Amino acid sequence: MSEGPLIVQSDKTLLLDIDHPLSTECRRAIAPFAELERSPEHIHTYRLTNLGLWNARAAGHDAELVIDTLIKYSRYAVPHSLLVDVAETMSRYGRLRLEADPIHGLILVTTDVGVLEEVIRAKKIAPLLGVRIDPETIAVHPSQRGSIKQSLLRLGWPAEDFAGYVDGQAHEISLKQNDWKIRPYQELAAEGFWHGGSGVVVLPCGAGKTIVGAAAMAHVKATTLILVTNTIAARQWREELLHRTTLNEDEIGEYSGAKKEIRPVTIATYQVMTKKKNGVYSHLDLFDTHDWGLIIYDEVHLLPAPIFRFTADIQSRRRLGLTATLVREDGMEGEVFSLIGPKRFDVPWKEIEAQGYIAPAECIEVRVNLTHDERLEYATAEPEERYRKCATTRTKRDVVEELVGLHAGEQILVIGQYIDQLDDLSETLGVPIIKGETPIKEREKLFAAFRAGEITCLVVSKVANFSIDLPEATIAIQVSGAFGSRQEEAQRLGRIVRPKVDGRGAKFYSVVSRDTIDQDFAQNRQRFLAEQGYSYRIIDADDVFQGKI
Amino acid sequence: METRSFADYLRTLDDAALISLFTHRPDLVTPVPPDIASLAVRATSAPSLARAIDSLNAWQYQVLEACAVAAEPFNEKQIAALTDKAALFVLPGLIERGLVYSGRDGLYIPTTLREVLGNEIAGLGPQSLAKLSLKKLDDAPAQAKKALDAMVWGPPRGTVADIKKPGAGVAWLLENDFVIVANSHTVLMPREVAIYLRGGKVHKDLVIQQPKISGDKRDAQSIQLAAIANVSTFLRWTEEILNFWAQEPADALRSGGLGVRDLKIISAHLGVDANCAAFVAELAYLAGLLSIDADDRILPSSQFDIWLTQQPSVRWESLVSQWLITSRVSGLVGKEESKNVAPLGPELDRVAASSIRKLTLRLLQENPEIAPDFQPLSALANWHMPAKRSGGIQNDYVQWTLREAEWLGITGQGAISKYGVGLLQGAELDEINDDLPKPVDHILIQSDHTAIAPGPLEHEVAQELAILADVESRGGATVYRFSEATIRRGLDHGRTGDEIKAFLKKTSKTPMPQPLEYLIVDVAKKHGKLRVGNTSSFIRCEDSALIAQIISDKRLDILQLRQIAPEVLICQHDATDAMNILRSFGYLPAGEDSQGSLLSGPRIQRAKSKARPPRIIGDFDRPDDLQLTAALRALRTGEKSSHRQSTLRNIAASALGSLPRTTANETLDILADYLQNQPATSLSIGYADNNGLVSHRIIDPLKLSAGSLIARDHATGEVQTFRIARITGVAAI
Repeated sequence: MSEGPLIVQSDKTLLLDIDHPLSTECRRAIAPFAELERSPEHIHTYRLTNLGLWNARAAGHDAELVIDTLIKYSRYAVPHSLLVDVAETMSRYGRLRLEADPIHGLILVTTDVGVLEEVIRAKKIAPLLGVRIDPETIAVHPSQRGSIKQSLLRLGWPAEDFAGYVDGQAHEISLKQNDWKIRPYQELAAEGFWHGGSGVVVLPCGAGKTIVGAAAMAHVKATTLILVTNTIAARQWREELLHRTTLNEDEIGEYSGAKKEIRPVTIATYQVMTKKKNGVYSHLDLFDTHDWGLIIYDEVHLLPAPIFRFTADIQSRRRLGLTATLVREDGMEGEVFSLIGPKRFDVPWKEIEAQGYIAPAECIEVRVNLTHDERLEYATAEPEERYRKCATTRTKRDVVEELVGLHAGEQILVIGQYIDQLDDLSETLGVPIIKGETPIKEREKLFAAFRAGEITCLVVSKVANFSIDLPEATIAIQVSGAFGSRQEEAQRLGRIVRPKVDGRGAKFYSVVSRDTIDQDFAQNRQRFLAEQGYSYRIIDADDVFQGKI
Repeated sequence: METRSFADYLRTLDDAALISLFTHRPDLVTPVPPDIASLAVRATSAPSLARAIDSLNAWQYQVLEACAVAAEPFNEKQIAALTDKAALFVLPGLIERGLVYSGRDGLYIPTTLREVLGNEIAGLGPQSLAKLSLKKLDDAPAQAKKALDAMVWGPPRGTVADIKKPGAGVAWLLENDFVIVANSHTVLMPREVAIYLRGGKVHKDLVIQQPKISGDKRDAQSIQLAAIANVSTFLRWTEEILNFWAQEPADALRSGGLGVRDLKIISAHLGVDANCAAFVAELAYLAGLLSIDADDRILPSSQFDIWLTQQPSVRWESLVSQWLITSRVSGLVGKEESKNVAPLGPELDRVAASSIRKLTLRLLQENPEIAPDFQPLSALANWHMPAKRSGGIQNDYVQWTLREAEWLGITGQGAISKYGVGLLQGAELDEINDDLPKPVDHILIQSDHTAIAPGPLEHEVAQELAILADVESRGGATVYRFSEATIRRGLDHGRTGDEIKAFLKKTSKTPMPQPLEYLIVDVAKKHGKLRVGNTSSFIRCEDSALIAQIISDKRLDILQLRQIAPEVLICQHDATDAMNILRSFGYLPAGEDSQGSLLSGPRIQRAKSKARPPRIIGDFDRPDDLQLTAALRALRTGEKSSHRQSTLRNIAASALGSLPRTTANETLDILADYLQNQPATSLSIGYADNNGLVSHRIIDPLKLSAGSLIARDHATGEVQTFRIARITGVAAI
């Protein structure tokens, strides 16, 4: 029996002992087919999922490789049934293929007539099909290329799409590497996408997904539609593209709530795309207005449902999804797989970290004691008011003041949810505040000043910190804010807080009221952050006042 | 006389031959028969013969069939001619088993054997009574040939529209006695004709060679690895199911067994399908690890605690050895046609289960390092066990055996493992202990509140951890998760926060993450702040001085008061008693209801249940004419029938006089004699009922079969089955 680093569990999770000498080798070997679920300090958890295994198939790995890898690195004997299951699951991918046909347009070809017979009898699939050409081939209505892929995936027979792509309207784009250099993994990611045709690139936050997008555009050299989460992100894409590529200002348009420009490269927000006017999505036409050669989906894991529906209709255009995680809160991972494409590139956080491009921050939970009066007030508050009461206690203000004092000279962000509290903090600390009502122009000015180091401390509300890049911040202090989705917070944190050039680590403080629901939320956060590989520690407010941090 | 000649034959056997007979047919000596005559009777009885036939393989069976259709006495050459030369090697085996025996002038088979083999042995009809000139068959007219072709390979029956006006072909056949009339619409082909047409053979295809097995080759290493994984997984499943039921016992169904819902729960708990969960539960049941309580709860037994402390090899063997011999088939659970069959229920026993299981394992053992394909394996199993009595081999059973053997680790990747071989050979299984991963005594605690045991945990550590954390993932390792609820559970079990911390620090190989320490301290601090208890009544007073006076009043000790707050006492007596006692010692208490409002004085009480006045019993109503006539008619009919019966009984009694009592063997002989020589006589018999009361019956015997007499009972006019053992005596009328 080998003494490998991997333990295969019967629920199809894989436990990787990272203190084992073979762990790095093993991690590389299992990354193509297993999804990383948690990465705390000693044992990382990966999971084998159908989609993960199909992604591996799409990337050209076969079941034998997966099984050999599992057996090779496994510490204990792997249950045979699990191996059989893996082989069976993987063999389901590719038995059906979508191909272009000069006569029928689009055809579904199979290597296994039984499978074809099974799927054409499915209620959801029958209407999408045309005439049966021969026992192994059936015509598919070209307009249903997306729907049939979706339906086949749901049936458990994912189809490989070899039907090719339209080139779109050509447009010269190349990278302009005068004052920077594309990182090797970014280049690999772009190439992985280009060879696969369509698909998703998974990179940890802060690993430079925008540059992967730019590199992909340089490969395609055609008009491009970029879909991003919000206006700030749109502006950042624009900045990046101007900096990294040969595109000039006139070639890049913004399609958002504020502006409706359509240019060879158009950046649109999810929000405007999914805006309904008289019950119809009036802006979805944007997909059709131009002969796009490439569509880039930023933050695929946040992609809203209506966009999926539309994406199903544009399967002949190249699609690139960018994300830090394939896990979606709504479980629509299958839609991403079938409509945008399989995973084309993936590099674990640890690897990029090892190359020195990113580093996780240290998380510190500061527990403050409520005063007796605050405690009573909290205890008698209405349930819906409770969180607010404990999150905005006055005691927190002193702690924040102290923390800001301790980190004087560093770039500090104070983040919170309740505007009253933030206003109060802004006043006490004497620093500017960015909140929902702050005009975009003003926000950009403040962010620019912060990046330039003209301001060292900023108070920001949740509204403003969404999807912003403030790599200069090394200290973040969160005073309030219920914990959102499992991935979002960690991502946001990763984006805001970077280690300084001199190697000093970034720190993320959350100030929490002891023995209240604030602490319960903190516990969730703690779990998720620890799962993401952040180190986590709890200190007492008194320690802060004594300077022990 | 048939049995007698068989007995004579047995008397000629030497010891070795008898021993060999007993070895092949152990049922003949359990219990040991008193004399050779009894042995002969037992050996020629239908159940014993059926058992003996079950042990034949397909080729032996064919030879036996050939013997059964050959005219007695026959010899080896005739049988070889009817089948194949290879039969010469098989016949001695049949003789050893007492299925064929040598009489005065050749070989015979016991008459009952023909009945056991069935009516139309090898698709052949009855012997012809007429003299046949079979050569004529070669020149049969075309129509006759057609009819012959239809019947030659059986069934040997043909239907005609009307036997009085047969077609030309059938007429020709009838004329030459090549078919005989069975009834007005059916003709039969005599055995001789069919054998002639079959070219002097009995069977179309002989199955002299056993079918070849095919399958994937597996190397010994991977078989072992897979098998040991299966062994450890199965032991874990068993432990987990029982631990689960220890906490949340399942309820047995009224009809016995485990309900679908509970089955689903445990299969979800184990993360396996319902069949597998049912199998694990069944084996735990068979091994005595769980019992079904008087109140229908399914709980682990104390045997389980002993089992847990045993070596893995012993634990495994205790499960697997039960599986080998049990007649219960858990594979039936969840099958479409056996919907109501529940695991642990009463309906899982199947006759052939154990023998099919053993046969399947033997075949696996004979083909080491091969994971056999199912079809050839099943064909081979059928060859080894062709007997039709139990409907042949159920292919399902073979499949289930393979599936279950894999779960158990008897096989690994479908091929038999060394543990399986060891088990079948009764060898020591200690190597399981060496091959299983060594238990670990430590865990790794991580800051996301999980702890990972990187191998099977030592029993004590595992038990303690099971209290302090929830299991999140199982397999080679175990992932535990700590949460507020699990820490609280630990505290509820009587651990203190410090003890928990100390235990985790001692057990963990990695330093204890600070957040977990905080969690334990936080929960321990809050735990038990609120106290909840039961009491019958309370005494409260805003004047704490009065409370102090009451608590120190010695006369009130009978109230068993306890002070839980300066102004509150609790009392183990109910409120009325407490008030009366307080009043009797000069206090002035007032009652308070659950809402806190004062109760003033004794209330006028009312019953809470609905009034149910007793029923009035008066005179009967006079029944109407219709009811009366119906009653009369019923009475008359009953009377008539009982009169008739008693008359019949009287006739029988006078006819019988006193019946000679005979033993079962004699009875059998006499009956057989009557059946053979005077088939039309009515007999009178004494027949004992369930309670041993002997009644006389007059019967027309029809047939002897499998220890019973089938006869028409004159009293009822119906064909009935009489057990030979219950017939006290027989006499002709």
